[in-house]
Amino acid sequence: MIRKTDDIIIRTVARILVPFIQIYALYVIMHGHYSPGGGFQGGVILGASIVLLLITHGLVETKKKIPEKAIALFSSMGVFIYAGIGVLCLLLFGNFLDYGKLSVILNIPPAAARAMGILGVEIGVSITVMAVMISIFTSISTAEDHSKYDKEH
Amino acid sequence: MNTFFLVIGIGLCVLVFFVLYRVVFGPGVFNRIAAISAIGTKTLIIILIMGIIYNRIDMFVDISMVYALLNFIGTLAAAKYLEIGGEKL
Repeated sequence: MIRKTDDIIIRTVARILVPFIQIYALYVIMHGHYSPGGGFQGGVILGASIVLLLITHGLVETKKKIPEKAIALFSSMGVFIYAGIGVLCLLLFGNFLDYGKLSVILNIPPAAARAMGILGVEIGVSITVMAVMISIFTSISTAEDHSKYDKEH
Repeated sequence: MNTFFLVIGIGLCVLVFFVLYRVVFGPGVFNRIAAISAIGTKTLIIILIMGIIYNRIDMFVDISMVYALLNFIGTLAAAKYLEIGGEKL
């Protein structure tokens, strides 16, 4: 599953399609308040774009674009953004994830600060979901033994 | 106009069962993959028709696009799995 395909049509279509999928995922994340979607769904679509790259271009070529260290870093960075916004509200004498208090830092009215706070939390969720999806896919398809696949190329 | 779309939607739901026969009894794996892909396409149209009936087509277009995308990736993954042979990965 994780090897490179020889078919030029599939490779070209996947290469053209991946940026559009990622733009659509960003739309789903940013527009999550008004339409179906949000952090988790956008993260799944972002992960699906990288999975498409993995099954068409192989593990080695995808690793050059997204190293595994970066995936591990992303999966913890999203949680850090989520918890960081929550703790920031605690430090501003509010409850955990009480976005209204962020208006002091952002210098905007509390209602707008709530919208921005929720958006920040959703971005954190989407980054974590994307990284975890990719790492689950690579772990299952290589049976957690990447060295065998590195040697073949 | 709503009855028109309702009838078309029910017709597509019935057609899904005809394709489901090919998924269950179809000779060979490739018939099954093609039939699953066809069911995914029909589901996409059914979602859009539901959107027209509920007057929320702007919401349902988003869902149907994600469904089409995941259907494409799923079909590609199944085809890739069979190209190499299940055991060897």
